[in-house]
Parts: sequence; structure tokens; C-alpha cells
Amino acid sequence: MAAEIIATAATDLALMQASQKGFQAIGAGLAVGLTGLGTGVAEMAIGSAAVGATAENKDIFGLALLFTVIPETIVIFGLVVALLLLFS
Amino acid sequence: MAEVRAGPAPYIYVCTRMRVRKSKLLPKEEYLRMLNMSLPEITRSIEELEYKREIDELSASFHGIDLLEIALSWNLAKEYQAIIAITPGTLKAFTQAYLRRWDIQNILTILRGKRQGLKIGKIKEVLIPAGELDRVFLDRLLIEDSPDRIVEALKGKNLYPVVAKEFPLAVQSNSLSHMENELYKDFYRNLINDANVMKGGDLFLKYISLDIDITNIRNLFRLRVDTVQEDAREMMIPGGTFSVEELHRLNGITDQNEFIDALMEKVRVKTLLAVLDKLRGEKPIREIEIDLIKVQIEQMEKMAKLNPFSIHPILVYLEKKKYEVFNLRAIARGKESKLSTDRIKGYLVM
Repeated sequence: MAAEIIATAATDLALMQASQKGFQAIGAGLAVGLTGLGTGVAEMAIGSAAVGATAENKDIFGLALLFTVIPETIVIFGLVVALLLLFS
Repeated sequence: MAEVRAGPAPYIYVCTRMRVRKSKLLPKEEYLRMLNMSLPEITRSIEELEYKREIDELSASFHGIDLLEIALSWNLAKEYQAIIAITPGTLKAFTQAYLRRWDIQNILTILRGKRQGLKIGKIKEVLIPAGELDRVFLDRLLIEDSPDRIVEALKGKNLYPVVAKEFPLAVQSNSLSHMENELYKDFYRNLINDANVMKGGDLFLKYISLDIDITNIRNLFRLRVDTVQEDAREMMIPGGTFSVEELHRLNGITDQNEFIDALMEKVRVKTLLAVLDKLRGEKPIREIEIDLIKVQIEQMEKMAKLNPFSIHPILVYLEKKKYEVFNLRAIARGKESKLSTDRIKGYLVM
């Protein structure tokens, strides 16, 4: 009887650990995926404006590129959160 | 916003380009500097700006004021055509519709020039082929001998129905002014129809309404200065804040203060209200017109800030570019005619 209870508890624990890992993976995926989408939306507007401005004035290419990649920080935050979730 | 498969990106792209181009337009200080220059110095100064290509191209065939005039016209037409080429979706349709006003101006210039027996080259100098009628088509019209053949050549174009109907009457009355009024009325009617049918037209409609209001108010002021008693209804354009009957009633008010009060009752644009309030005293019609143009541009800039990715930033640039060319032409013509600096300054939209 006691052995049975111990075996069930062990199985439950293993299941819980497995689902915890699963949720961590889903969370990490969402963190990278959603921030990636957010970055994309933000870069669409900035990128079009940057290309437009560069078409008129070639000298601002560097600055325009810098502005375009600023939303990349969002996806980097997402990546950091994902890494923390997976490896902490 | 209008139907563009790529989402708002093409709108953002083109509106940013218009903003950058607008920032490259000449500032007030530059006009003031040019006012102190001689004509060759002005030509050299303009050559260093966006007009270099046209001046270089035309310098072999033209000289002095003619070179400047034609280079400015060419540049304006080229600029407008280039803008049509880069605008996407319904913005292109709106821009093309707006630029059709140049067709009216070109046709009237050709007909008036021909009636006065001017040389083809002289008429060509002032044509700005920015609308539906391109340079090749206008050149074909210019070589026609009789005005009737010019009207016939317009068959199939937007202007043809009105021109065909009104031109015989214009010949009878020996004046193109009625035809000009009818062409502009038809132009605005078509603009309103286009704006009502197309997506995103509500913003375009706001501009059209402002343009009609300013034009009607300007006409009212002109009629007040004019000693000839004319029916105001003939000159007023329907579709703005004021109905044609209201404008006719306003034209009947003789007292200046009463007239301004009646106008201000219906106007909602704050900047226009401020300007109208200042016009209570005696002021030359040219200054009134310049004030009204400035109000229109200021209001358009406000609309462009409120709707940054719409037709408004494009229209602001088109209007400001037009006035840059007008200003440069006024400076050059004024210098050629040896007018005083203050007199020329009065004709500039700065």
C-alpha cells in the first residue's frame, strides 16, 4: 500500500516536472514570438519612413538605419526572458 | 486609410518623402537675400538649388528672364509628374485629380495666347504640363492654327464637354471668363465626386472644402474692389461652407464691418477668423489675397500634422512648391521690370 502511494506520488511529480518544462518552453516561445511580431510592426513604419527619407537625402542613411533597428531591443528583451525561462 | 495591400508602409514612405522635400524648399531668408540680387545673380543662385538640371538643359536655347521662367515651369511640371509616379493607391488618384487644375490653366493660356496672336514659344514658356495633358499633347495644341481646332483636339479629355459647350459662347461674348468659371466649377464638382466615391476621400474632401472656401472668400473681396456690378453667383463655387446663395447675399453687403461679421459668423477656421478680423480696414486686394493664401497653407499644414499619412502632406508640398516657383518668378519678373524691393516683396508668399 505504502509502495503504491510512493509510486503514484513519484509519477505525479514526474508529470508535474514535465508539464512545468513544457510551459517554460511555451512561455519562451511566446516571449520571442510575440516580441518579434511587435518589433516587425514597429520596424514596418520606421523602415518605410527611413527608406523614404534616405531616397530624398542619401546622407542620412546611417541615422535612418539606426532608427530602424531601435525596435530590435524589444525582441532582445523577449530573447532574454526566453533564455531566463529555459535555463534559470 | 485607402486600399493598399502592403498596409500603411507605402503611405508612410511617400509622406516622409514629401516632408523631406518640403524641408528643402526655400526659406524666407533666401527670398529676402534674392531681393537684393541682380537677375544674373538670381539665375546663378537658383542654379545652385533644385533647378540646376533644367537651367543647364535650357541655357543653350534661352537667356535671361526667359530661361528662368521656362526652367521654373519645367521643374514644377517634372516635380509634379515625379510625385504622381511615387504615390500609391488612391493617393495617386487624388493627386492626379488635384493636378488637373493645371489642364484648365494650360488650355486657357493657349486659347488666350492664340487669340492675342502671341508666338508659340512665348505661350510655351508659361505652360505647366502637370495635369492630364502632357507636354507632347500641349505642343500639338500649340501648333494648331485655329482655336476651334484646339477645342476639337480636346475630344476624349476631361475638359472637353465644358470647353465644347462654352467656347462658342466665349467667342460670341469675346471673353473667356465665363468659360473659365465653368471649367473651375466642373473641376471642383469632379473633385468632390471623386472624394465621395473613393476610400479615404473624407480627408481629401476637407482640403477641397477649405480650397473652395478660400477661393470664394477671395472672389468676394475681389468683387468688392471691382467697380463692375456682376452677379456673384456666376463666380462662386458650390461645395464649401457657404452656399452660392449665401455668398451672393454676402456680396450684397456694402458695409465692410458688416460684411466681415457676416463672414465670421460661419467660418470655423481660427486662423482665417484672425485674418478676417484684421481685414476690417482698407487693405490692397493683393495683400488680402496673400493673407488668404497664407491661411490656407497654414491650415493645410495643420491638417497634415493631424493626418500624417494621408493625402494632406502631399497636398501641402504641392501647394508650397507651387508658391516657391511663383515667388521666384515674381522676384525675377520684378527685377526685370526694375520694381522696388518692397513692391516685389508684397507679391511673395513667405
